[in-house]
Amino acid sequence: MKGLIKIIVTPLIIIILTLGTTGCWNRRELPVLGIVMGVGIDKAMDSDKLEITAQIIKTSELKSSSPEEGGAGGGSSSSAGAYWNVKNSGESMFSTIRGFTHRTSRKLYFPHNQIIIFGQSLAKQGIQECLDFLLRDQETRLEVLMLVAEDKSSDILSVKSHLEKIPSVGISELMDSQAANSQTIVIRLNQFVTRLMSPTTASIAPIISVQGKADNTELAVSGTAVFKRDKLIGQMNKEETRGLLWVINEIKSGIIDIESPDQEGRVSLEIINAKSKITSEIIDHKPYIKIDVKEEGNIGDQSCTASLVSPDAVAALEEKKNEAIKDEIESALSKAKKLNADVFGFGDILHKKHPKEWQEIKDDWDKIFPNLEVEILVEAKLRRSGNLGSPAAPPEKE
Amino acid sequence: MLHYLIKKSKFLMLLSQNALERNKQEPSQDDQNTPANLSQSLKTNLDLIKGVIGNNYDVVIREFSFDRQRQVSASLIYLSGMTDPTIINESILKPLMFESRLSSDSAPKLDDIEMIRTTMLSVGEVSKSANIDEIVDSCLSGSTILLVNNCHEALMIMTADWKSRSVDEPKTESVVRGPREGFTENLLTNTTLLRRKIKNSDLTIESIKIGQRTKTSVNIAYIKGLANPLLIEEIKRRLNDIKTDSILESGYIEQFIEDAPFSIFSTVANTEKPDSAAAKILEGRAAILTDGSPFTLTIPMLLIESFQCSDDYYSRPYFVSFIRMIRYLAYAISILAPATYVALTTFHQELIPTALLFSMAAAQEGVPFPALVEAMGMGVVFEILREAGVRLPRPVGQAVSIVGALVIGQSAVTAGLIGAPMVIVVALTAVASFVVPAQTDSGGILRIFFVVLAGFLGGFGIMIGLIGLLIHLASLRSFGTPYLSPLAPLSVSDLKDSFIRAPLWAMITRPRTIGWHDLKRQEFRLKPSPPLEEDTQSK
Amino acid sequence: MRLERGEISSSQLMFLISCFIQGGLYPSSLAYSISKHDTWLALIAAFIIGVFIVLIYIALANKFPGKNIIEINDLIYGPYFGKLVSLQYIYFFIISLSGYFWFIGDFVLTFIMPETPIIVIMTMFAFICAWAVRKGIEVIARLCVIFVFLPGIIILLTFALLLKNMEFTNFLPVFEVPLEDFIQSTNIIMHISVCEVLAFLMVIPYMNKPKQARRSVLLGIIGGGLILLTGTIRNIAALGPLSEIVTSPSLLAVSLINIGKIISRLEVLVSMAQILLLFIITSVFYYAAVLSVAQITKLQSYLPVVIPIGIIGIFLSLISYDSRMQFSYSTMYITPLLSMHIYIAIPLISLIVAKLRKLPQRNERN
Repeated sequence: MKGLIKIIVTPLIIIILTLGTTGCWNRRELPVLGIVMGVGIDKAMDSDKLEITAQIIKTSELKSSSPEEGGAGGGSSSSAGAYWNVKNSGESMFSTIRGFTHRTSRKLYFPHNQIIIFGQSLAKQGIQECLDFLLRDQETRLEVLMLVAEDKSSDILSVKSHLEKIPSVGISELMDSQAANSQTIVIRLNQFVTRLMSPTTASIAPIISVQGKADNTELAVSGTAVFKRDKLIGQMNKEETRGLLWVINEIKSGIIDIESPDQEGRVSLEIINAKSKITSEIIDHKPYIKIDVKEEGNIGDQSCTASLVSPDAVAALEEKKNEAIKDEIESALSKAKKLNADVFGFGDILHKKHPKEWQEIKDDWDKIFPNLEVEILVEAKLRRSGNLGSPAAPPEKE
Repeated sequence: MLHYLIKKSKFLMLLSQNALERNKQEPSQDDQNTPANLSQSLKTNLDLIKGVIGNNYDVVIREFSFDRQRQVSASLIYLSGMTDPTIINESILKPLMFESRLSSDSAPKLDDIEMIRTTMLSVGEVSKSANIDEIVDSCLSGSTILLVNNCHEALMIMTADWKSRSVDEPKTESVVRGPREGFTENLLTNTTLLRRKIKNSDLTIESIKIGQRTKTSVNIAYIKGLANPLLIEEIKRRLNDIKTDSILESGYIEQFIEDAPFSIFSTVANTEKPDSAAAKILEGRAAILTDGSPFTLTIPMLLIESFQCSDDYYSRPYFVSFIRMIRYLAYAISILAPATYVALTTFHQELIPTALLFSMAAAQEGVPFPALVEAMGMGVVFEILREAGVRLPRPVGQAVSIVGALVIGQSAVTAGLIGAPMVIVVALTAVASFVVPAQTDSGGILRIFFVVLAGFLGGFGIMIGLIGLLIHLASLRSFGTPYLSPLAPLSVSDLKDSFIRAPLWAMITRPRTIGWHDLKRQEFRLKPSPPLEEDTQSK
Repeated sequence: MRLERGEISSSQLMFLISCFIQGGLYPSSLAYSISKHDTWLALIAAFIIGVFIVLIYIALANKFPGKNIIEINDLIYGPYFGKLVSLQYIYFFIISLSGYFWFIGDFVLTFIMPETPIIVIMTMFAFICAWAVRKGIEVIARLCVIFVFLPGIIILLTFALLLKNMEFTNFLPVFEVPLEDFIQSTNIIMHISVCEVLAFLMVIPYMNKPKQARRSVLLGIIGGGLILLTGTIRNIAALGPLSEIVTSPSLLAVSLINIGKIISRLEVLVSMAQILLLFIITSVFYYAAVLSVAQITKLQSYLPVVIPIGIIGIFLSLISYDSRMQFSYSTMYITPLLSMHIYIAIPLISLIVAKLRKLPQRNERN
């Protein structure tokens, strides 16, 4: 009898499997997918509609051109390339995205999307709806990069990358390499939304722009877009951005140029390691912020001929570096205060450290922030001088 | 519908029961027709035996007489191919005919068959019987029958010796390090090989005959005191319950005694190597040796035995443990790789790394079949190639695999019939499936099962399949031992010989799940260590 | 006559309960929207209170060794009123079963295959659970030994890999939510994870050493609870305020892992662990429901009711829940309050009545 039960169970499995064959609900073979690598969202020129540009890879083109001859300026890539930028406009984010099916033979597939670029005009108008869709839709991944175009996002996506086949991949690699300079912020969707959801902290995103003319265009990231709530309200330049990064502890590497302490000439110092700590205090219902920055670095190059390895010279260099870093932070602070956007997250720090006092001041934060007293302490160190001790220079004339 | 099925199967069961009963009755009817015992007359006896096996090409009946005074007539009956002529000539005929003549004066009373047995024959194993069935049986298994006039008993003289394959290296279980000898088709050789490994009076080898027509000798080998007596009882009960006409290979026995006949997993292990059979016997298992088959069954079987190999214990533990993990990985690949590929490319493209997705999408561009069909098709093609390679003579088999693998695979990809990644996946699966030979057949079925599930329900289907597989494995038992032990139910000390292989000196106990009461294998503190400095100095 | 012939060991019970508790990670994400970044505190509070409630269950089970809750009810309240009480338990088991059927369907639909009909997912899953239930508690317990380590290892591994993304300031300020929200969140977590141990009143009688039940149950709860706490801390620290609005913080938190573009997309591991754990929980409820129905109807074997109960569970879940929003609402605001009397009041009253009537002693004399 035991065997009989099994004989009955096996047909049951088969029945359920045939139940499965009646419809293969989520099946999508690879060739029917339009894999989206980048999305640009703009406001349409003449109306209030959204205009979305999707960059789809052409899988057949990927196959035909061998990887060596990518898009590297040669004549071989004179064709359109292995991607297709398709545009659609519509009232809402979701309907526009679905509307792509009127224009493309394949259903757009977003999980491999690398970048989302917002056009300047849309960013000024507000991007909350777009973000809600991106988070709600299970096809979007949280680590997609957020960027703001200096003008229109569709222009950015149509600039060919000189090293990668797909422009979006080029942009995402470009963002990866920003850590070497720490003058641009790299923001992913989850970080952007976390900032957006905070009652005080302002969201930030890097700005990307097209440089050069006609055929010889290229992309560059420069500066930071500052959002208040979900609307773009201003920009920070490279120096201010690094000032911001010093504060929020996002400095990975970078070069600080300072004047040589004794002589004419410049010294470049490489940042190796940087840490910052923000402490807060509330005295008499008035908040105070203290920023501690600790930095370590090496001598990268020097145009002066004096040897800078003596203890005195090192101390002087460190002093100069301290000032340079402090200047950057102060420029960022003043810009943020001018925009009245708490890009540093001071409000959240006060909220976390002083929950009771925060209840009293949270409604007035917009008034408090521009006049917030911030103390900046920088402690910069020089650790190494590279392969050289004294400079590679002719001996000094006495 | 269901009712009909149950009725049908009940009917079938009844039918088979009737047939069995009829089988039981048949021999007893024969007994009534023919006299079971020998008579006094040599001639009637000879006729009787001739009537049973007489008109056969290989039966030799040698009639002779001995004892010059009384001229006692006698005859020898034997099968010419199964006996050793030297023994018959030198040890039976010569003493009877020649030496009895010499000593006839002094010892005249030779009519007593007991006298012949005790004084005349210089052969080791001699027994006597009057039962004609017994006599014929022993003749058929190589004994020489000596019939003497005026005796109602016959002597069965063990002269069995036939051409058999010599002991050589087993083809199915190759080892890098370890003994090269393998079991042969000769039962006696096999038991000898076992005895030589375990020189212990507790090693018990019991024999029974199964198969009403083939009368195959089947031996149960175990160590008294290590093997659970209940297990031995159960094995004997199941062996005795086999009422079939023929046992040609140990595979027959396996299919008659296994616990889960509907399962795709085998619950009886087999080995061709005396050293691994001995090792299993020493762990408390029982071995079933079948005459005519080099494959020895060992009982009970655990799933992890499929991943163990006799090499493991002869080499040092580190690399062996690594290789063990590789075997588990290979088995997982062999059953899951095509299914995972199908699930990833048709349901979960978001899980493929972007760069990999590019090349996969490019390779899949223009392929006319869905991934499920591709995977199934390639799987079938692979099984065809494998079967062709196994059945054909070796040189031709190699040609087939080259034609199949290289030509078909390569040209199918260049023609755009299948994507190159699929060929890679199937090839990887094929190679991985050979790593665990004991589970090759279950792996083949599971692979198809998982591919179908993945094709319809993606990753969720694979998960459902895996859970189902685990439920099935967890519910299996092999002669009372849970099939998944020592993992489930957990037995921590047995895990020393599962995913890893602990150093031999650390494996102090026998497997608890198999062992019975004498669990201690060896002493503690066997870990080798260099002599202390004081000792060397004193020396 | 015993309906279940299998036996489980004390370590197996421990693993079973640990699996059961760990499986609460996905359901307990409902509490994030109420207690926000203080969910981990609510979790600890729920476990501390929960342990005391579980002690009531064990005390009840220990008073009547070898008897399941249906038999205990008959002994305490008499054959008729006892049946009435037992029916409430059966209702609880079947409702929980249907809830978990819906849960697995919802989970798969939201994160794995959005376009598949929910009934297919539920049927496949119910089929697998029914198979396990047919094989008996022994097989379910054996599977647990395999399953219990996997989710734990995955949670610890992802915790380690996410350390880079974690902001431990996300926990500040501690205890910010209003007290009533905190209590409600505690109640939800307690209801979802700890108090469902009630189902084990159908399992504990089949232990080979019933005296060790208390130890194994408590160890299981502590082990599972620690894993659950690790998971909750991971989610809050890695996601911050996002954890309050997303439907599955665990999956989203783990999807943030991206180490060198190689170790990424680990959420597949989390989904796998989730399906395994949901399978264990559902099977235990299924088993409890099937066994109690067989017990109350005095069947010789529980096998005939397995498939009917599964079908009832699926239909009940299709009828009771329309949408995810409705499911969340009822799990958050209705069920924890409604079923409170089943998992706190009735066991407590049973225990008190048993004490007053000095039941076990009289039973022994008989």
